[in-house]
Amino acid sequence: MQPRSMYAWGNPWFRWSVCGLVVFALLTLLVGFVWLPSVQDDFTAKGVWDGICRAAGVPREWRAPTKSADAGPRTTDVVLTSTMARSGSGDSTGRGGTLAIQQCSMCHGAQGMSESGAPNLAGQYPEVVIKQLHDYKRGDRSSAIMESLARKLSDRDILDIASYYDSLPRAKPAAARVDERGAPALVRVGDPLRNIVPCMACHGGNEHKLGAPWLDGMPKDYLLGELRDFASGARRNDSYGQMRNMVRTLTPQELDGVAEFYARREPEAGKR
Amino acid sequence: MFLARRLVLAHFWVAFVAFTAAIVLGEWQMFVRSPLSAWVGDAEHYYRSVTAHGTVMGYVFPTLVAMGFGYAITELALKQPLIGLRWAWAGFWLVMIGTVMAATPVALGYASVLYTFYPPMIGSPFYYLGVVLVVVGSWVWVALMVINLNAWKKNNAGKPVPLAMFGNVAGAYLWAWTSVGAAIEILFLILPVALGFKDTIDAGLARVFFSWTLHAIVYFWLMPSYIAFYTIVPRAIGGRLYSDTMGRVAFVLFLVFSMPIGIHHLFADPQLGAGFKFVHAVFTAMVSVPTFLTVFTIVASVEIAARLRGGRGMFGWVKALPWSNPMMLAVTFSFIMLGFGGAGGIINMSFQLNETVHNTQWVTGHFHLIFAGAIVIMYFMVAYDLWPQLTGCRPLPAALVRSQLWLWFVGMMIMTLPWHWVGLLGMPRRMAYFDFSNPALDGQAWTLVAGSLGGLMLVVSALLFVFILARARASDARPSPFSFSTAVHMPATTPVALNGFGLWVAMMIALTVVNYGFPIAQLASLKGTSVPAISVGGR
Repeated sequence: MQPRSMYAWGNPWFRWSVCGLVVFALLTLLVGFVWLPSVQDDFTAKGVWDGICRAAGVPREWRAPTKSADAGPRTTDVVLTSTMARSGSGDSTGRGGTLAIQQCSMCHGAQGMSESGAPNLAGQYPEVVIKQLHDYKRGDRSSAIMESLARKLSDRDILDIASYYDSLPRAKPAAARVDERGAPALVRVGDPLRNIVPCMACHGGNEHKLGAPWLDGMPKDYLLGELRDFASGARRNDSYGQMRNMVRTLTPQELDGVAEFYARREPEAGKR
Repeated sequence: MFLARRLVLAHFWVAFVAFTAAIVLGEWQMFVRSPLSAWVGDAEHYYRSVTAHGTVMGYVFPTLVAMGFGYAITELALKQPLIGLRWAWAGFWLVMIGTVMAATPVALGYASVLYTFYPPMIGSPFYYLGVVLVVVGSWVWVALMVINLNAWKKNNAGKPVPLAMFGNVAGAYLWAWTSVGAAIEILFLILPVALGFKDTIDAGLARVFFSWTLHAIVYFWLMPSYIAFYTIVPRAIGGRLYSDTMGRVAFVLFLVFSMPIGIHHLFADPQLGAGFKFVHAVFTAMVSVPTFLTVFTIVASVEIAARLRGGRGMFGWVKALPWSNPMMLAVTFSFIMLGFGGAGGIINMSFQLNETVHNTQWVTGHFHLIFAGAIVIMYFMVAYDLWPQLTGCRPLPAALVRSQLWLWFVGMMIMTLPWHWVGLLGMPRRMAYFDFSNPALDGQAWTLVAGSLGGLMLVVSALLFVFILARARASDARPSPFSFSTAVHMPATTPVALNGFGLWVAMMIALTVVNYGFPIAQLASLKGTSVPAISVGGR
């Protein structure tokens, strides 16, 4: 006779399915959490329970205290978020303008366009200025002038200065494009076998990534100097070594070609 | 006795038009990556195309086919008018609106995040909302399938549910539960960031939620094909279904085992413990059981057809099979691709072997072979088989259909087998170009040339498919009534467990809790695991 209810213990389908599944699941758990870890020394170094915890993804100590955490030269501790990329209020821009005229314009130009070989800042993305000033302030990026200037800036000052430069019209040539004539291959397509991403994938032209500055028309000496510093590791405030990893394997000629390309893109009067 | 004709036709036509557009994109991707073309200038265009291809092929096309086929089964197998026709149209329009809403930002380059979302990349909110609408539209279908089955059961107490409807509703329950993972990911993790309420996202947790959907979704794609194996193939080639019970067992096994296995996609993810990865690997192995049962049953059914046609001997019966019948050809091709693809899948799910092929072109080869190959070729057959019912046309021209199937099979093999090979050599997937001028890669260039030639055959085959369907015209001759396969022993009664889903759905949910509960709870409760979102498509 057919059992009437699906969920009755008298229904062999119910009984065998439930028992089978429970036994199967328990056996699997036992193998995965007890037996297999037991043959791995690093899982069972501190006993069976520790091995089970590790197999579940919960080491008793997340980070064993080693000296490596703080050892080695510093990089950056700024975490870029999209809020940093938003334009500041008029108030903030005005205050930033006052600060910038007093402290920055000598090198970076009254309108943010440098005539002294310092980087142009007019229309630079705010999160770029924020990050670099914080890095100078903490000494994660080195420059005798910038470090001493940045040390005196409060967090608010930094936001205001970034907002001011963001508000200035960027004298910018037409955006670099991937099919631009004369653009070095490294800029357009990178070099896949050396794990080098195209410059345009972050610095505009193809895609713009948070924290990557626009480069068109920057002084060549500045660009080349920074590239060399990234390559040698002298500059190391790039998050996760992004830039250092890109340029480490580049030859001097390639570094020069990239800097030349971006510097050659002369700023013209124009709108952002 | 087929009132939902226009509804089913609408689903199928939109599915097939979207499919044809997406397959052209796929071939373009193959071509620009191959040495036949210069490197794609703007790699973003490549990822835009991959996103569109994946979104259509993963979410829109199979969902519409499953929905349309499901509505057809409801009327044809239960022999009762579809309850909730208006709701069904509402669901259809939700899918339509969702598709357009998702496709627009993708086409504009504001959502090149690939169809698997990959947080912390964040695209336009409209993309995610569009996908949500597609899923919500399909939930209407899920509800209607359950309602229709229950109404039938009320009027036919104690009778066995027709196998086609049983498989159909198993697919509906499977989809309802599996889509919850991605829905949670989008609604609670991605959308708050995409809409600008948050800057950071817990990418590890988001990936775990997506894996909840990611693997079982392929069994939802597969259900219409398996229903066709069991309930159309034996009838179409003049045989009998070897076992009706085996079909039911296979469907409920899919329901139980396809859900709690998605972490095998995350073997390389550091946020999960090795124990759970092992458990998911074991349960993934269990999903091969219903497939083995199905292959056995269908081969036995085919043998019955051959012996009815006078086939003799241990293997001599193979010659007696109706090889000129497109359905015979399709099921053979499908099983060959299922064999290769399934064997590859067992390698993917093995915790250790996966290390060799993880994120290589092998994986792309695997899922194209098994989904675009074994499964989609049966979607074609479902459409061909239903077309006379839907449009009143005469049976479709068999020679043309056979050429279409041959093109699809040969094209798919030429495209995917070299991908498997080159994946073993280490070629990564999701690359917009490869530097074949480098001697280290030079020897691998032919695989992409083969791929784009195979892809071209697939495009021709897809166009031929649409052409065959579009050319069919209503004729005066009324189509003979539609029938599903008859089993050797048609069940007079069925064990209550194989006539309903309660037990199996409960097991599915319980296994999900066991296999996913702890990792999700642990990751959700850990502090400081969110990372800054990376917005895609400009500032």
